[in-house]
Amino acid sequence: MDREFLACLRGLQNVDGGWGFNAGCDSRIEPTAWALIALHEFSSPGAVDEPLERGLRFLTAAQREDGSWGAAAGQSEGCWVTSLACWALLAHPQFSAKLLSGLRWLNDDRPRDSGFLWRMARKLVDRSRINAQSASFSGWSWTPHTASWVEPTCYAMIVLHAKAAASLSNLPRRIGLAHGMLYDRMCPGGGWNCGNPRVYGVAGQPQVGPTVWALIALHETADRRANRESLDWLESIQDTIVSPESLALAHIGLGLYGRQNSKLAERLQSSHDSSALPWSVQAITWAALAFSENPGWLNVVSSKPA
Amino acid sequence: MPRETPALLPPFSRPDSRVAIRRVPNYQSDIAAVLYETLREFDLPVRGKVVLLKPNLITLDPLGITNTNPAVIAAARESFLRLGASEVFIGDGSGIDRDSQAILESMRLREFTRPLAKIFVDLNVDDVERLRFRTRASRLKELYFPKILLRADFVVSMPKLKTHHWAGVTLSLKNMFGAVPGACYGWPKNVLHWAGIDPAILDINAAVRPDFAIVDGIVGMEGNGPIQGSLKPAGVLILGDDPVAVDSTSVRVMGLLPEKVKHLAQAATLLGHIEPQKIRQLGESITDVRNPFTVLHEFRHLRQDPNSPLWNQNCL
Repeated sequence: MDREFLACLRGLQNVDGGWGFNAGCDSRIEPTAWALIALHEFSSPGAVDEPLERGLRFLTAAQREDGSWGAAAGQSEGCWVTSLACWALLAHPQFSAKLLSGLRWLNDDRPRDSGFLWRMARKLVDRSRINAQSASFSGWSWTPHTASWVEPTCYAMIVLHAKAAASLSNLPRRIGLAHGMLYDRMCPGGGWNCGNPRVYGVAGQPQVGPTVWALIALHETADRRANRESLDWLESIQDTIVSPESLALAHIGLGLYGRQNSKLAERLQSSHDSSALPWSVQAITWAALAFSENPGWLNVVSSKPA
Repeated sequence: MPRETPALLPPFSRPDSRVAIRRVPNYQSDIAAVLYETLREFDLPVRGKVVLLKPNLITLDPLGITNTNPAVIAAARESFLRLGASEVFIGDGSGIDRDSQAILESMRLREFTRPLAKIFVDLNVDDVERLRFRTRASRLKELYFPKILLRADFVVSMPKLKTHHWAGVTLSLKNMFGAVPGACYGWPKNVLHWAGIDPAILDINAAVRPDFAIVDGIVGMEGNGPIQGSLKPAGVLILGDDPVAVDSTSVRVMGLLPEKVKHLAQAATLLGHIEPQKIRQLGESITDVRNPFTVLHEFRHLRQDPNSPLWNQNCL
């Protein structure tokens, strides 16, 4: 099955070497990074993979001088896709300098809610009626000068686990704060959404994507009750998942924790023919990765942290 | 190079706006017939044109209380095709859930209109173009927007009639947040929150002002909207050629004061009409369909009359 997905992925590569979110779309960093992760996952050691090489050229050429990557061409600042670009470069030692430059940018990139004044203001003003999030923690934002959210925090935490990040100053403290933030933002009963676990006293509804990314980012504390509750939530809703992206991610997340479910894989395969929309590059990529028997792309979290 | 937004006309030089209110008791009604007949009255310039319908598809909605109802979306698409539009696309970009396909499946949109693969555009991940703002309501100087939105000949904002825990209400103007691509700004599009929700609504609508608005008020949401509020049957469709006037009328139907809704008051200085005397009302009158919505305590000032018993009622 993974071969079919990979063939499909290769067929969607643009002339410039990148991938768009969908067939015929302009190349962007996010789908390109995912496509490269998947192509490398299934590549044979030592073999030259021409689409992979062209994709890497597109990705590295798009890096900004400050080490970051932007989500769209011409964007004036880098953003969260820097984590994904770094993830795609982890397996390619010839780009170690570019990788380190990206990791440095990530380590230096501070969300607005991590500033002293902002945190003090949050502590002084009682917002408990609106939400009950702790101002003591912070992670990573989607775009510069905005607040911490679950998904970009997960991506950054995952890639900063890499050995290449070991030399970065102050990293353990940042990871620690991000760790705290993710657990603080977990929805009551388990699972994550974008980062609003409770608004005006009403519990937020978890979502598959953020839950899986958080479970991957928090894998080193796999035995915590919060992780187990979130896995339980994911298992409890798996029969209701219908979209290929969520099916693939759920399969990946449960698999990482040893809770594979063959029915999910079967439904993922069959959903290709019954899908209401054409599969996006991300859906194809995650589906391919979901069928990886020995997911090397997740070694970054299953090995010891930097 | 970023594209410049079109120049804006001050409202005093605009013709009067037209807003129609139609009673539609439920989603099993013949919505297509109601919409088609009403849209014909507006004599819209859509023949041979590409129309983009921009509903509010924010999250998984199996119960049909959060998103613009699929029956209304399908009826609007059918009506614009009958009016001669060459193509009618449906597009949105949720601000909190990036799995668009899961959202579409949860609300069973493909049972109402097909083939979705050819007509639905995920505005979060469409190709983008940078647009520089002429307005300076917020700190935003420019944003990326989906190309389909910028290239469509006629854009229709199709929100659901809902209260909103940060903006007071979310109608056709706030609905345009969904046109800002998540793939550039994230989930949520937090850059808009930091720029100020109300001024950002103004900047976005000044840049990509919808040509028409259709509010799904058959079943709305009150209280802690836009996703955690309570179901509120209101039994109306509200549509018109000026999104500011449509939203003002909708707010009056909700028993609230449009002048007190910050983004509406600001939009009335630049984008359209809020004063009743500048809005030509078609169909039902506001008083005949008024149905007070509960609001959060923080928005009790939106209630119509502080001296009436309603002032303290219907507040959470």
